[in-house]
Amino acid sequence: MPAGSLSFKSRESLQALFCPQSVAVIGASTAPEKLGYQIFKNILDAGFPGTVHPINPKATEILGRRCYPSIDAIPDQVDLATIIIPAPFVADTIRQCGKRGVKGAIVISGGFSETGPEGEVLQNQLVEAARESNVAVIGPNCQGVNNPHHPLCASWPLLTRRGGVAIVSQSGTVGAALMDWASQEELGVSTFVSLGNRADVDEADLIHYFAQDPHTRTIAIYMEGVKAAPKFLQAVRQCRKPLVILKAGRTPKGRKAAESHTRSLAGRDEVYEGVFRQLGIHRADDLEELYDFSKALAYLPRPKGRRLLIVTSSGGSGILATDMAENTGLDVAPLPEEMARKLRAVLPKHCIVANPLDLTGDANAEMYRQVVEAAGPHFDIVGLIFGDPIPGASGVVGTDPLQLVIYLGGAEVERHERLLFHRKGIPVFPTPERGIRALSELLR
Amino acid sequence: MTIAIGKAIQEGRNLVEPEAYELLEAYGVSVPRHRVVNSAEQAEVASAELGYPVVAKIVSPDVLHKTELGGVLLNLNDAAAVRAAYRQIVERSRQARAALRGVLISRMAPPGIEVIAGLTQDAQFGPVVMFGLGGIFVEVYRDVSFRLIPLTELDAAAMIREIKASPVLQGVRGGRPADLKALADLLLTVSRMAVENPEIAEMDLNPIIVYEEGLSVVDARVLLHHKTAPA
Repeated sequence: MPAGSLSFKSRESLQALFCPQSVAVIGASTAPEKLGYQIFKNILDAGFPGTVHPINPKATEILGRRCYPSIDAIPDQVDLATIIIPAPFVADTIRQCGKRGVKGAIVISGGFSETGPEGEVLQNQLVEAARESNVAVIGPNCQGVNNPHHPLCASWPLLTRRGGVAIVSQSGTVGAALMDWASQEELGVSTFVSLGNRADVDEADLIHYFAQDPHTRTIAIYMEGVKAAPKFLQAVRQCRKPLVILKAGRTPKGRKAAESHTRSLAGRDEVYEGVFRQLGIHRADDLEELYDFSKALAYLPRPKGRRLLIVTSSGGSGILATDMAENTGLDVAPLPEEMARKLRAVLPKHCIVANPLDLTGDANAEMYRQVVEAAGPHFDIVGLIFGDPIPGASGVVGTDPLQLVIYLGGAEVERHERLLFHRKGIPVFPTPERGIRALSELLR
Repeated sequence: MTIAIGKAIQEGRNLVEPEAYELLEAYGVSVPRHRVVNSAEQAEVASAELGYPVVAKIVSPDVLHKTELGGVLLNLNDAAAVRAAYRQIVERSRQARAALRGVLISRMAPPGIEVIAGLTQDAQFGPVVMFGLGGIFVEVYRDVSFRLIPLTELDAAAMIREIKASPVLQGVRGGRPADLKALADLLLTVSRMAVENPEIAEMDLNPIIVYEEGLSVVDARVLLHHKTAPA
């Protein structure tokens, strides 16, 4: 282990990456199809609050901003450089940035260790330049950083919705997909970081940083392998926020693919399984679980116990939910007689007063409210499945006891209600299985 | 560091099985009653003392996989079988050009549930404790659990619970449940041995026979870290 590998990147240097006062885009372009144009435009369009300088020796102006030939030509202080230039020029550019007092650099460019031995040499030069110039580097070969709370969108696509989940991904697309889903649902993210080859800043630095970040409630990570186990273990042991990890490269061929993708050592999957359990990391098996678990852990409080009442307008959905609850250790307990009697008196005759409790297809929001009220003293969690277009659903859901919302088969009404739920900070899950599975992580 | 480990490192070899037994016993782990003998006559006397049936195993620092070499002979029921086994092991070691440090005679352990446990080095995380059910469960289904050292009591219990074949340990088809407390203690002991003896690179306790009360580590292999260059 090289000396000093256990120390984390300073808060100051990471703040330059996520909350800079001024940004230079080195390799900004006038051609709309180029990343150097899109990233520059996204920084402007997301409403970056400080100054943004394009750098390109062949242009005089980009999107109405004066273009500089090099970082040296910029008169004022720059905190962050976003670099989109060919790999052989990156190391020198980082040195120039260091001399100008730049604290952080995001290297979008590919052509490093992922391409072979020559790229490996360039990457080593990049690391050396970063260390010597005291510049914290994200990437190379990455999709950038998006912090909607600042806002800073040094990435693509342009997404601006603010939320409570930090997304850290070795794959740009995988991370961007999560952020896209969160934006669609109006839940947003706290920060998106695409690590790429993680030559300098790694997942342990970011766990350490987001553990202290006031906007982040939960950290979601896609990784192909940890970079440095001791540093990772220390960061996780110190982190008091839920950590959800999707670890790819589980099979022999998957491991090989991980090696060529980001040169990651994928390691033995059974060992990862054990280590994650030991450290209390929530392990997601696929991208949807990574999204769902993070959503549940960020936006739902921890239930007091495992007793779950399922209330549904759809019999089939109730059964799917029951199966998943049984398989994940939740207790679909029978209704106490006192509660059943109370509900039979107020609900229509055709409702099936049991657990799952089937309100049937003509259920309305008021009936759900009555059930939640009656369940209060007897259950730790009420799983509400809105399996039809049920207007006003978002108006009847509260927090005591904990309520898990699943909405499906409701078309336009559902889409409208889901956004109302999300604006209230209550997460909605799209299927009974996904909702209950995510819920079970709160009790791990 | 125990005396056996120090001696083995000095001689640039791994522990032979009687030394591995000694290490385990020093940590309070049960192993079968055994003797190391150097002649067919001694083998016969030892067997009579230990009580039949017995097992005869090769003791050689050159032999890692005793069974593959034909160096393990099970279910020896009388003096004639023990003498024949002794001679056979001597002959096999000569054929394999393996230095012979005697033959281990041990009492054949009564049947129970077979499990395996050990310590291995993970390329990324370093030393990890491993647990699984013996036989096909590990080989075919890779049904094993791992934890970083040092283990807590909760970790040990979770390792036992989380393997898919765990219900087998609770007793199936009228079988008695295995002594899960003894098993958890063993995993904690493996962790403690690894922490207190960082010279141990790998440990393979396979099989361990678990009973309704207690367990017995029937076969133990301990590999050591050897310095390749002066520090």
